Amino acid sequence: MDWHLLGLSFITIFLSELGDKSQVAAIALSGSSKSPRAVFFGTAAALILASLLGVLLGHGAAHLLPTRLVKAIAALGFALMAVRLLWPSADLPSDAEVS
Amino acid sequence: MQLSSRPFSLSSPTSPATHQLVEPLSEPEARIHATLIEEVERQQSTSAPHMSQDHQVRWQGLGVFCSTFVTIFLAELGDKTQVTTLLMSAESQSPWMVFTGAALALITTSLLGVLVGRWLANRLSPKALETAAGAALLLVSVSLLWDVVHF
Repeated sequence: MDWHLLGLSFITIFLSELGDKSQVAAIALSGSSKSPRAVFFGTAAALILASLLGVLLGHGAAHLLPTRLVKAIAALGFALMAVRLLWPSADLPSDAEVS
Repeated sequence: MQLSSRPFSLSSPTSPATHQLVEPLSEPEARIHATLIEEVERQQSTSAPHMSQDHQVRWQGLGVFCSTFVTIFLAELGDKTQVTTLLMSAESQSPWMVFTGAALALITTSLLGVLVGRWLANRLSPKALETAAGAALLLVSVSLLWDVVHF
């Protein structure tokens, strides 16, 4: 067991991921959702699968995937979630209807 | 002995729910049960989150899981975390050790994110929280689009 390598990759990824957009998304989604556990599992699973793909595919990943298109789709997904949250919803007491 | 005990064991199964169903009801009791069942069915059909709350929460959770998974997965593909993992695993002799470290770090950061989200949810009003969360997601979306344009 190469503990040094394990610790190094942990710290590198932890620092690069801290305050990154996926963590911001996790904060936003878990705060507004009724099932934060599902948000946690969804986020963790997505991140782990993404890094697993990175390990498995190696350098081929960048060429294999149309990164820009994929990112644009993700941006659209987040925008949809944002609109759904910002839309004046019926299930909440609409105290902010004046604004 | 065996014969006489058999119908008795049939009419008293282990679960109390089926026990109620199997047991013969007296006339007024049956009427109460019928109205109760009717009420439950009506509430389920109008999707009032009262009796079927458990069920609803579970399905809602699945939807939340899927939407979170798909958006974050797509956002992270080709992102700097994935590239870092890729480079580190390519450089080192033991890529699985790099992956384990990365996975642990990612679990920790998402756990931290969810905990911060819950902490904020307890302090802000639901309306303010929804607005803040919507704004944060818009920010994420804009930053992703920025990446797309300036790649």
